[in-house]
Amino acid sequence: MSAWRDGMRRVNRAPAILVGVWALTLLVSLPLAVAMRGMLAQHLGRSLAADTAASGVNYDWMQEFSDQATGLGVTFKPTIIGFGAVLDNLSAFMDNTPRPVVIVGAASTYVALWIFLAGGIIDRYARDRATRAYGFFAAAGVFFFRFLRLAVVQWLVYACLFGLIHPWLFERLYPRFTHEITVERTAFFIRVALYLVFGVLMAAATTLFDYAKVRAVVEDRRSMFGAIGGALGFLRRHLAAAVALFLANFALFALVVGLYSVVAPGAGRAGIWMWIGFAAGQFYVLGRLWVKLVFWASETALFQSRLAHAGYVARSDPTWPESPAADAIS
Amino acid sequence: MGRPLATALLLVVTGHAVAWAQSGGTGAVTPPRSPRNANYTITARLDPSTRTITGAETITWRNITTKPATDLQFHLYWNAWKSSRTTFMHERALRSTGLGPRVDDRRRNPDEWSRIDVVSIRVGARDLSASKRFIAPDDENPDDETVMVVPLDPAVEPGGTATIDLTWTAHVPRAFARTGAIGNFFFIAQWFPKLGVLLDEGWNCHQFHSGTEFFSDYGVYDVSLTVPSGWPLGATGVQRERRDNGDRTTTYRYYQEDVHDFAWTTSPDYLERTARFEHPTLPPVEMRLLLQPEHADQAERHFDATRTTLKYYGEWYGAYPYGHVTIIDPAYQSGAGGMEYPTLFTAGTRWLAPSRVTTPEGVTVHEAGHQFWYGIVGNNEFEDAWMDEGFNTFSTARAVAQVWDPNHLALRYFGGFIPWAFRDVVINRETDGNRLSGYRRDAKSDAQSTPSYRYFPATGGSITYNKTALWLNTLERWLGWPTLQRIMATHFDTWKFRHPKPADYFDTVNEVAGRDLGWFFDQVYRSSNVFDYGVQDLTSARDDRNEFRTTVIVRRWGEAIFPVDVLVTFRDGERVTEHWDGKDRWKLYTYDRRAQALSAQADPARVLLLDVDYTNNSKTLEPQGGRAATKWSLKWMVWLQDGLLSWVSLI
Repeated sequence: MSAWRDGMRRVNRAPAILVGVWALTLLVSLPLAVAMRGMLAQHLGRSLAADTAASGVNYDWMQEFSDQATGLGVTFKPTIIGFGAVLDNLSAFMDNTPRPVVIVGAASTYVALWIFLAGGIIDRYARDRATRAYGFFAAAGVFFFRFLRLAVVQWLVYACLFGLIHPWLFERLYPRFTHEITVERTAFFIRVALYLVFGVLMAAATTLFDYAKVRAVVEDRRSMFGAIGGALGFLRRHLAAAVALFLANFALFALVVGLYSVVAPGAGRAGIWMWIGFAAGQFYVLGRLWVKLVFWASETALFQSRLAHAGYVARSDPTWPESPAADAIS
Repeated sequence: MGRPLATALLLVVTGHAVAWAQSGGTGAVTPPRSPRNANYTITARLDPSTRTITGAETITWRNITTKPATDLQFHLYWNAWKSSRTTFMHERALRSTGLGPRVDDRRRNPDEWSRIDVVSIRVGARDLSASKRFIAPDDENPDDETVMVVPLDPAVEPGGTATIDLTWTAHVPRAFARTGAIGNFFFIAQWFPKLGVLLDEGWNCHQFHSGTEFFSDYGVYDVSLTVPSGWPLGATGVQRERRDNGDRTTTYRYYQEDVHDFAWTTSPDYLERTARFEHPTLPPVEMRLLLQPEHADQAERHFDATRTTLKYYGEWYGAYPYGHVTIIDPAYQSGAGGMEYPTLFTAGTRWLAPSRVTTPEGVTVHEAGHQFWYGIVGNNEFEDAWMDEGFNTFSTARAVAQVWDPNHLALRYFGGFIPWAFRDVVINRETDGNRLSGYRRDAKSDAQSTPSYRYFPATGGSITYNKTALWLNTLERWLGWPTLQRIMATHFDTWKFRHPKPADYFDTVNEVAGRDLGWFFDQVYRSSNVFDYGVQDLTSARDDRNEFRTTVIVRRWGEAIFPVDVLVTFRDGERVTEHWDGKDRWKLYTYDRRAQALSAQADPARVLLLDVDYTNNSKTLEPQGGRAATKWSLKWMVWLQDGLLSWVSLI
């Protein structure tokens, strides 16, 4: 719990990182949102259908748009309204529902940017003191190619999880277990059990790779296989602490999602309410990002509390370049 | 559920069944409403362990045509699921991917397929078992054995009668087309050798197709069914006898006059509830509900929906004449939900069924409504499925709107288990109830006049259900509900317990409406053309006389033609309505006013519900498209960001 609290403290002491990753999320999503806006505006044109679409939900128009849409447009559905959006994404994630190529492309870009930033973020949390932009991006640059190599391993593991194990669980085992079941509730509980199995595997994989990153940064490791081995060793020796920390962080995630389920704005009207609704959505996104960062920071804190002293980072402090004014002085 | 509790429950259930049978009538309809020319006395035994049915039947059939019958043609529907090579299975593959059998069909165990084998057939004293053969009148598929023909010698003359005795065995499949078994749940429909319909032009006995249903003559059904003791049984008609056989089986005898089919179901898990429909001017109806234990709290929702149907369909079209109806809540995964049979229908609900979302109400109203459109008015569902499915889709939407308004969109997540109701999204009778979205996608797939069984399997439903409901609602909006109600009631009254054809309905429309609407049916029935009217342009600029010259160009983008109003609204509140016959490709309206125009709308009252693009029906000089697009793209952006965060949780 002290690592958990320490993790939250480290994230809160570095608000620029939270704001930065939020800005990154905004920047990646903004071009697509602009493209979507263009498609919607073109379809609505000067139509009176836009009046009802602006003041509430014009479900008829939404369906008409959806029926004619291609590419990005096919994702415009009522499920984007309020908490439905979260359910849709969580459900798609757990059910391994394919998304359109353009969404996959955006997500891949987003993930690649996170891989770049991961070194800087963990380095900042590991040092637990300001590193400034130069230090942050220097660390990000140092670890980017290492984490790219790690990402290859991650990709293989997740490809196995989503490409082999998920279909085996949900397209083979689930139909077999429920083949003769005539009670929906029973089938649901079986599905929940399989979600748990898949979730535990996912959690194990992400936790392993998280600690691999932490060890790579804190111990300045160059071999990602070595980092994974180190993470495995750490988890083996401190399994209870790591699991407890994961559960505490997952509880944070559930809390943020639960809160949003209460306050998520509905369709609303155009104008000020539209922006208030958007702001609520951004607070939720900030909350999710904060939880993501707390995961990394608390795992870093746990690792440092067990195998190093708090704030220990093997890699030397970034050396600042001389100011151009130095020329004038000399 | 523990065994003692289950036994006690079943005793209660059985006791209720007897009480209901006594109060619910006898199954007799006096005087006869139908020709009763195909009467079946059936005895059958279900062996749940092997999932087999052994049956014997006697058909008393009368030739009511003007031609002699030289053969008999029977439907053997369950042979449609004998292999993947049947016509039904070929079409079923086309309904999914078109690339081969559905995944769940490929994974079927051998005992999950079905078959029906006629062991013997006698006509009078003559044993014709050796002369029976299979034909495939629709596609000559040699692997399709869903139609059996037996030659008659001598022929049965017009007005003559034949007594046909058959014995057969059948294997119950895992559900196909709402028929089959899962666990201890059995839903048995289209299960016995059944005569086609002899018309003056010959036998109308189609193969079983995946996209269409059935057609048979009216008659009397007297059916004795033997099932394991303690298994509640629901069936067409009224229970007249119950006999415990002493071998852990019980035989139930069900009887019903003036129906054209017989279906039944049994399961040890059923809970039974009863209720009664009463109305000041309509006859009372005893309602019996067999439902799944996990839906026990939804019994009243099923009864309310059935009452709604009996009330509104009864008031609009004509009374339900049988005095009893059985509602079946099928087991999960049984595939038996949402299907109609005479005096019995299957509804369908979910364990989690939020309020103000019409599950189970929508499907219950629809299937109960089929008692009127299919049960009482017996059109040929192979060829003119729209005459019951379309009429009933329209009527369902209309009835649901009377009671459950507003109701909301619900989507399901996590394997389809978890519903989420979108309280902002109100389901609209005209567009959602009549299923405009599905029609829009498939509008050109087939002309409605094509025999239904020849519709492209994947899109035929949109033409059968959606298009008909949309053009009926269009007629309602154009002619007015009182006129359309008279049309439907007249058609119902004229053709109850008979087999109407499309021309019969069109004749009724013309007669009651007092005008020839052939041009309308040329558009909606005889062609696959689509309607798409709209405003191409609206300008309103000050001229040299300091007046605003307003020009409106309306256009017909679709091929189909319908008269539409054009409404032009000015800033001073003036509203000008033009009546355009809609025949030309475009029409120009010009106005000189002191006030500038605000908007122009083609079909402002949205009479023409078949218009596939209503967004282009209006133009305004104060467009809100940008604001609306911004609002919705911001919502979409939050959805996208949340989705991105799901991905990033992996790194």
